[in-house]
Amino acid sequence: MMASAPQSPWQRLQGIPRYYIYLLLAAVVVWQILFPIRLPITPSAATKGVFAAIESVPDGKLIIISADWDASTQAETGPQTEAIIHACFQHHKRFALMSLGAPMGIKLADDLARRVAEQYDARYGVEWCNWGYKFGYDNVLIAMAKDIPKTIGTDFHGAPVAQLPMMAGVTEISSIGLVIEITGLAGISEYWIGLIQGVYGTPFASAYTAVMAPGYYPFLDSKQMKGMLVGAKGGAEMELLVGRPGLGGAIMAAQSWAHLFIIALIVLGNVGYLLASASERRRR
Amino acid sequence: MRSLFRPAATSAALYWHLAAAIIASIAIIVLLHRLLGPRGRRWLIAMVTLLGGLYLGMEYFLPVRKDMLWPSHIPNPNPARGANLLSPGIEPVGNMLSVIGAFTVGLGIYSLCQVHGRNIIRRRSGWQNSLAFFLSMLAMLVFGMWSYYLPKPKIESPIMPWPKATYEVLFNGLFNPLQAATFSLLAFYIASAAYRAFRIRSAEAALMMAAAFIVMLGQVPVGAWLTSGLPTTGAAGFFRLEALGDWVMSWLNTPAQRGIVFGIAIGGLAMSLRIWLSLERGTFFAEQG
Repeated sequence: MMASAPQSPWQRLQGIPRYYIYLLLAAVVVWQILFPIRLPITPSAATKGVFAAIESVPDGKLIIISADWDASTQAETGPQTEAIIHACFQHHKRFALMSLGAPMGIKLADDLARRVAEQYDARYGVEWCNWGYKFGYDNVLIAMAKDIPKTIGTDFHGAPVAQLPMMAGVTEISSIGLVIEITGLAGISEYWIGLIQGVYGTPFASAYTAVMAPGYYPFLDSKQMKGMLVGAKGGAEMELLVGRPGLGGAIMAAQSWAHLFIIALIVLGNVGYLLASASERRRR
Repeated sequence: MRSLFRPAATSAALYWHLAAAIIASIAIIVLLHRLLGPRGRRWLIAMVTLLGGLYLGMEYFLPVRKDMLWPSHIPNPNPARGANLLSPGIEPVGNMLSVIGAFTVGLGIYSLCQVHGRNIIRRRSGWQNSLAFFLSMLAMLVFGMWSYYLPKPKIESPIMPWPKATYEVLFNGLFNPLQAATFSLLAFYIASAAYRAFRIRSAEAALMMAAAFIVMLGQVPVGAWLTSGLPTTGAAGFFRLEALGDWVMSWLNTPAQRGIVFGIAIGGLAMSLRIWLSLERGTFFAEQG
């Protein structure tokens, strides 16, 4: 067996074992979650758009919060949902949770809404309700636009939605003042925009994971979206707007230092690569 | 005939309807299977696809009339908005599609049970994982259904009934952390992959790295803090990392994304037409030659 050639310091700089990287990244994240160094956050125009959209919903109309996320993206979508629910309660806007794409996530959103509702003494069925997971994407939206109680049928707990006090007068899509889509799944917003916002002009806002948000900037630019929360940053900014600093801010601290760590790693790898290439050229 | 499509008046009638529907469906499938050859089946699938697409398309595009009479057994939910000739069918068709979709879930579960069942019977390597699949599925199914169908207590009690408590432990204590942990592993892989693969080998790679650094720092408060010395307004304000990040996303990313969206939409339209007209033979008929 041939012994491998000794590596130059520049080559070693490019080959840090991956378990050191994993360990250091975990250390950075845990350190910031436990002892966050909170830096000032300035809400972006896109986040302010979501807040303003909630604020401007006419009193008689309902907000639909389509919580299409589950535990896999909860670190980003959880704080976003919580802050949005705070904004709804603070402005006395009634809202209905529902899900088109995440049958498991609707329970997480329900737990969250229940917890926030307790802080405002908001009653289920009066100030908020949960329509549950509805299978069928476009079919649900097409039918819902024409008859909400019939399409939704029963709520998350199996009770007929038509019997909930807050559903009095809610017939079809004109009863809806705003749709907020919170998701880590690409493609669901297109249904809302194509079949509801585009056809009936119902205001639409959204909250996405940071990785999928770039794909939705065209809709923000075309004003088809009133606003957009981008990843944990959007959640932290919304928390700031509703005056309830929470998990979003702590996650931002961890993400800040994790980004810096990854940038440092990339720089280190490239310094090693450039110096090793230069030394190779000199040797030739 | 119309009474068949009305909602069942009692729960007993509903179960009779369900049983009759299942028996009729099985009978129709067996009959079609016996009577139709491969050519006949192709023809049937193509016709159903064509008619289904035609109905949904026409219902969406046909003009509506406010004085349109809704069939007597379905009340028009919103007379002010109007309807066309096909509107009354949209809800039953939607329900039908939901039911067909639900069958695909059943098919998925059947397929999983088949694969994992074989693994256990033949003691293939990793059969313990298959056993874990069955145990987890059964536990979630039993306790999920049990807690859902538990009679609601008349007085709210702080103590949860044990089937519900068990379901909560399974869902919040096991399933969610496992799912979150699996997804979180991505962050570690991305960090390691970025360190290993992101090398400035060309001018394009350098440009991409610069854009990546700007966006990565612009998305986090530490980026804003690094350039907090710059004024927030005027030309110098543009060079604050959060403003630069926003500029990259709005001015460079948006047109590129819009181009991609147009491309996908046109491709999707072409593909939908091919499927609708059953020209995309590979999808339905590949195995039948």
